[in-house]
Amino acid sequence: MADNNAGGGLVSRWADYSMRNPETVYRYLLYIGIGAFLLISLFPIYWLFVIALTSPGNMSNIWLLPKGFNIGVFIEIFRTTPFHWYVLNSLIISTVTTALVLLFASLAGYVFGRMEFRFRRPLMLVILAISYFPAASYLIPLFRLLTGNVGVAGVYPPDLFNTHFGIIIPLLGIMMPLSIFILTTFYAQIPDGLEDAARVEGTTRLGALFRVIMPLSAPGVATAGVLTFIMVYNEFFFSFLMNDGEVSNGAPLVWGMIRFQERFQVNYGEMAAASLVATIPIVILVLIAQERIVSGLTSGALKE
Amino acid sequence: MSSSNQSQNPIKAVHQIATKWIANMSDTRFAYLLLLPTLLTVTALAIWPLIYTFEISLHANSLSGLYGDFVGLENYVQILSGQRDAILPSPFLSFQDPINSGLIVTFIFAFVSVILEAFLGFGMALVLDQQFRGRRFVRAAIIIPWAFPIVIQGMIFYIMFTPGLGFATELTAWLPYLSRNALSHGLTALVVVIIADVWKQSAFIALIVLAGLQSIDRSLYNVAKVSGASPWQRFKLVTFPLVMPSLLIALLFRTIGAMRIYGQIEAITSCSVVPSLSCMVVQSFDTGNYANAATVAFITASIIGTVVSIYLLKYREV
Repeated sequence: MADNNAGGGLVSRWADYSMRNPETVYRYLLYIGIGAFLLISLFPIYWLFVIALTSPGNMSNIWLLPKGFNIGVFIEIFRTTPFHWYVLNSLIISTVTTALVLLFASLAGYVFGRMEFRFRRPLMLVILAISYFPAASYLIPLFRLLTGNVGVAGVYPPDLFNTHFGIIIPLLGIMMPLSIFILTTFYAQIPDGLEDAARVEGTTRLGALFRVIMPLSAPGVATAGVLTFIMVYNEFFFSFLMNDGEVSNGAPLVWGMIRFQERFQVNYGEMAAASLVATIPIVILVLIAQERIVSGLTSGALKE
Repeated sequence: MSSSNQSQNPIKAVHQIATKWIANMSDTRFAYLLLLPTLLTVTALAIWPLIYTFEISLHANSLSGLYGDFVGLENYVQILSGQRDAILPSPFLSFQDPINSGLIVTFIFAFVSVILEAFLGFGMALVLDQQFRGRRFVRAAIIIPWAFPIVIQGMIFYIMFTPGLGFATELTAWLPYLSRNALSHGLTALVVVIIADVWKQSAFIALIVLAGLQSIDRSLYNVAKVSGASPWQRFKLVTFPLVMPSLLIALLFRTIGAMRIYGQIEAITSCSVVPSLSCMVVQSFDTGNYANAATVAFITASIIGTVVSIYLLKYREV
């Protein structure tokens, strides 16, 4: 900035001040950043509210405020579609998948984290590698397996299409690696002495895992659990392809939303309201278990 | 326990036998016993399907069964060279029509969205690394999009870009190429899908970079300050190099994730408008062309495998 610039007196003074007080400038930059990121993250969600509250007749060019105040839409969605059943199906699928993943991954995490044996590293690498592949590359065989078309020695499994387990089972394989790595990290940190003491007192090996190691690693178990739950609740691929969308067939949330989209006369207000209702469980989880999500994502990712 | 007890309570007896059996096991055997559920699951739900997909891709398509005659790598040759484009849901690789070509669309999507997420996520991480009031709230707000169900993330941007309803089409109406009907044209729909992905996934990069930032030894900054480094130099010479490994891991994970893109497309527009590789697999599968579906699926898996290998060889001394 040239100081002899007549019109630039203000600008040059401002630049001068900024140079001498960098901390103040950083503070302002920080606030600008916070504002921008809050806006980016929350505006689309706010806008859903705006759409939901707009009365059906006024749906055009909705900007920042709803046209009308149609609070009844939040009741209406349960009346026009069995929306609560879709959400409930998703909650059931997420809960069962999370429980099974935690059980299996705990056993594996105990082995990888606390025992030494020959194939430990190669096995961990295989499990890690598997988590990279896209669901699409498993689609044809898994679909055949889950619809009872692949038999072992003449024994055919039941057709799981349109059941909760048709979605839960393929997701086990997809969700397991992350939980195994999180739990391996946590279980490895428990001092051997605590386990040995329990063993001396007559606790069995498995008893030591479930009564000593797991309770002591409660934060780790919670981390793996929260992340798995969120990811299953959010999952699209198998939730969509392993069901025909009928609530009575255990259709999850994905289908609930698609049904809104498929209707001849799309009711955008209801669609937005349904979206907001469906995200309540997830938003509550994020607010309660923020720390867990942060530590889980980072420990899962930063582990070789 | 005595054997008379076993006849009274079989469950208890089995439990005792099992306990004894486990107690007398060697450590290695016990390890494998505990790994059994995981190994079975992983084998049945991941390893076997991948091998089976590869097997299907080596055979001709069959109208009656799962696959016809063995043709070796013929499917790969024909799909990669563009001879199959007519019977694929959309061309696999076509430079005449790049926005309608599965491979190019997937690469554009992955490249652009990951770059944007890296900048946005890095900025978010720098902000969250500071001390200020309401930091927890800001962090929660940044995480919430990441936790949103894919189908609802799709809904938001589908409504926003619906002509005459959302404001987004009004905003972009004056731009060239961006017609009012953004969701039914390949290029503009791709832009919307990228925007949606950046909204959802930037937080992921932010959290991993934030962990990297917080693991930096703060005394390094004091050393830099004493040596007379300006704030910008401190960032360039201390922060950035030290946070680079975390950023690279975050980018790797996001690249892998972006290469799989499917759900958002289905929720925002449709697979025929933005034909990603996973889209092409599902569409071929739906029309019963298992040879094409399996081949495109295995090509996708191979691309992702290659990306991971390059990363491991370049940045990790394995």
